[in-house]
Amino acid sequence: MAAPFAGRSFLGTVALVFLAIAILSAVDMFLAGLERKETRIEAAHLFAQGRDLMQRGKKTEAIERIQDALASDRGNHDYLRTLAQAQFEAGKTADAESTIEELLQTDSTDGLATLIMGRILAKEGQFPEAISYFRRAIYGHWNGDAAGNRLRARFELIDLLARRNSKEELLAELLPVQDQAPRDLNTQIRLGRLFLLAGSAGRAAAVFRGVLRNVPANADAYAGLGEAEFARGDYRAAQRDFQSALRLAPVDQTTRQRLDVCNELLMLDPTVRGLGPAERFHRSLKLLDLTLDQTRPCIGQNPSFQLQQFFDQAGKTLEARVSAAHQSEASEANLDLAEQLWQARRQECTPPPATDSPLALVLARLAQ
Amino acid sequence: MDSNQRSSWAAKARRYLERFRQNEDQLSLVLSLIIGGLVGLVVVAFILLTGRLAARMYPAGGSGWRRVLVPVLGSLGTGYLLWRYFPFARGSGIPQTKFALFIDDGRILFRTVLGKFFCCSASLASGIALGREGPSVQVGAGIASVIARNLGLSPRQVKALVPAGCAAALAAAFNTPIAAVMFSLEEIMGDLHASVLGSVVISSATSWMVLHLVLGDDPLFHVAAYKAVHPAEFLVYAVLGVVGGLGSVCFVKLLLGLRAWFMRLPKTTAWFQPVVGGLTVGLMGYFVPEVLGVGYNHVEKVLNGDIVLKVVVLLAVLKIVATAVCYASGNAGGIFGPALFIGAMMGATVGGVAHSLFPHYTAGAGAYALVGMGTAFAGIVRTPLTSVFMIFEITRDYTIIVPLMISNMIAYYISYKLQPESIYDALAQQEGVRLPHAHSRSRAERIEVRQVMRSAPVVLSPDLPIAVVLDQTNDSAFDAWPVADEQGLLGMVRSSELEQAADDGASNQSVGELLREASWSGQTVVGDPPHVYPDHSLSVALERMGNTGLNVLPVVSRANVRHLIGMVALDDVLDAYGVARRPGPKGRKR
Repeated sequence: MAAPFAGRSFLGTVALVFLAIAILSAVDMFLAGLERKETRIEAAHLFAQGRDLMQRGKKTEAIERIQDALASDRGNHDYLRTLAQAQFEAGKTADAESTIEELLQTDSTDGLATLIMGRILAKEGQFPEAISYFRRAIYGHWNGDAAGNRLRARFELIDLLARRNSKEELLAELLPVQDQAPRDLNTQIRLGRLFLLAGSAGRAAAVFRGVLRNVPANADAYAGLGEAEFARGDYRAAQRDFQSALRLAPVDQTTRQRLDVCNELLMLDPTVRGLGPAERFHRSLKLLDLTLDQTRPCIGQNPSFQLQQFFDQAGKTLEARVSAAHQSEASEANLDLAEQLWQARRQECTPPPATDSPLALVLARLAQ
Repeated sequence: MDSNQRSSWAAKARRYLERFRQNEDQLSLVLSLIIGGLVGLVVVAFILLTGRLAARMYPAGGSGWRRVLVPVLGSLGTGYLLWRYFPFARGSGIPQTKFALFIDDGRILFRTVLGKFFCCSASLASGIALGREGPSVQVGAGIASVIARNLGLSPRQVKALVPAGCAAALAAAFNTPIAAVMFSLEEIMGDLHASVLGSVVISSATSWMVLHLVLGDDPLFHVAAYKAVHPAEFLVYAVLGVVGGLGSVCFVKLLLGLRAWFMRLPKTTAWFQPVVGGLTVGLMGYFVPEVLGVGYNHVEKVLNGDIVLKVVVLLAVLKIVATAVCYASGNAGGIFGPALFIGAMMGATVGGVAHSLFPHYTAGAGAYALVGMGTAFAGIVRTPLTSVFMIFEITRDYTIIVPLMISNMIAYYISYKLQPESIYDALAQQEGVRLPHAHSRSRAERIEVRQVMRSAPVVLSPDLPIAVVLDQTNDSAFDAWPVADEQGLLGMVRSSELEQAADDGASNQSVGELLREASWSGQTVVGDPPHVYPDHSLSVALERMGNTGLNVLPVVSRANVRHLIGMVALDDVLDAYGVARRPGPKGRKR
């Protein structure tokens, strides 16, 4: 058996080893601290470069820089968020999704991360999931200006719901925003239009009126108010508001078209207050004539027996002479016939009639 | 407390300490813990120091001339130091550790540890394209050796602690404690069943804990979860195994060829030779900075699919050349890191091509880069199990195991066929040292008893009289005989016992009685007689023959130790090893 090595004293060696452990622990801690500090500085430098490139529109280079920054300072949430944002803006949605997933694994309540995820999913057409992420963003954790960021997230959700024409959900999101939203002109007009989209014409009108109280000469507010009044069926008020808008912005073609519709509707509507019996009779005939014109081409050569009867009756009515004394009764009969024809058209014709034409609107009003 | 009490306590402490020193198991356990902790701290310092120095020597975005000058100056400085003061700190550190373990009773000088630590730090920080893990292994082994020798332990104990130092170093360097244990057993010891397993595991785990305490829970590489896209992908992994195997062979042959060339140069140029490596890597780094240093950050990029195919191919080729030249020219640094780098690039190349051809059936290049790392490790370092565990620990992803095993085994097989000797054995041979390796041991272990056993020529009934038995066994070379009844084997009766009984006038006594008497007197074992199993190696048979003093042993079934299958004789064993037979049967005294 080989002889033992000639060692130092057992206790002395043990003491030296523990001394070495103590010294090395201190050295390691110092070096680790130094490395952490230096890599963070380096990462921050790279991140700043990445953000700069991002602002200059150089998304690909920006992504590379931010990834380098992340390699040095792993798990930095700011870097991850910005990287995901850059990837999303560069059209790399899969990469952005993966980055956000990494971030959400460590903090599932991160407001910006969930918001970006919502944007990604909305872009991919996964709307229910996107809406869910937007809601998580609204109630999520934000580092600074939480209220403002939550509001912005809610507006993004509102825009998505508006695009999807989800009226009820849209209104549900708009109601909490109404009091929190900034009072600036653009936001208020946007809010008013969104209420219109959500089918809440009354709230839209209130918003536009509020704007006009502060800024009386705002064409957009008048146009919006006109739309709101139109939606509520107050065509006269709508006409007035559209006219006001056009006085302020004469070249606004959309408002002009809406005014034309409004004018036509008001010329056609037999229920407008203040009409004499003759005018009311005249309008009822015109309405019947227009309904007949709308219905006949779509029915074709073989109308049903009932419809044929309506056609015959309408033809006779239009050719008949009615004395002034019977014009009121005749008006009612004409309007009834027009309504019946319209109902028959809706049942037998495809495609269905346009619901926003003056004729359709007037007949809808008569049916109420 | 009076002086008597004090001296009594001191005496007790001394006695306790002495008892502790004498208890090898306890001492080994405690030393494994201490070595694990200390080596972990040293390796963490080594990693941090190298990283911080590198950040200062060639910072990212630095000028091109700096990338040429720094490696040249670094290799010049460390080359001189290695030549003048630390001649045993050159190269990787793995062959040197094995030299120490198998040739020098585990002796590694403290000076070598210091030299390895500082020269490697400077060398790697200057951009030399070598790795830090091999040197860490030598540093770890050296620390274990220094502590054990200073404690006055025996060479056997020192040699048992050296693998613990290796495992601790590798666990901290790669952040892979299981792979570190496997490597210590598979490569350093060359024996997966080595008795040092306990101390190796303890030191590896301790070192890993130290690493986590200081640097946190970051894995070596941050990679996306591995995904197998389609079963047909396994074919691509097989192709990766072939490419990895061929690439590994190219790398190893280039390195060995260059090393042989450098060794033929005049000895007086030894201090200057590393500059060739420094200049080569510097010139490459001027155009392609990714070649410089360990390059793990670029490996991570490839693993995440962030480098384009053309660059990946270029990096694979350049790294093979740069590492081979740097190592062969005598710089300090290992080849583990470069093996992973080269493997990742080869994997990404195969994966990139496959993905462009079959995008719906294959994962991205990153997944292949991951498997490629293990493939190159298996092909170059020739430790297939270690490489599987290492990649598994790096990814912490179980699903990667199957493709990894397919690819690794193919690479290992190709590498073994085209370059039978592993790189460390070949490097040792270039130094004039023949290290034992696992294959030589396994060849010795390969012959089993079943291959040489014969049927028992005579099985004695316990009722037979001794005189009859002596007649039956007179002309045999065996010196013992199996005695069996209908229940099976009862024991072995020696010729000498039979002869002694006959001389004592007990020729009419039965063999069974003789066996029982021998059992009472402790001469022959009944119950469980000496035996071997058919699957035992011949070395086990030889050992048992030596222990029992018999030249023949019964071969019994593992299912029933009394079921005699055959006999194995010393002559048969010697025949199997190609050793000439002993002289024929001797005449027996009656």
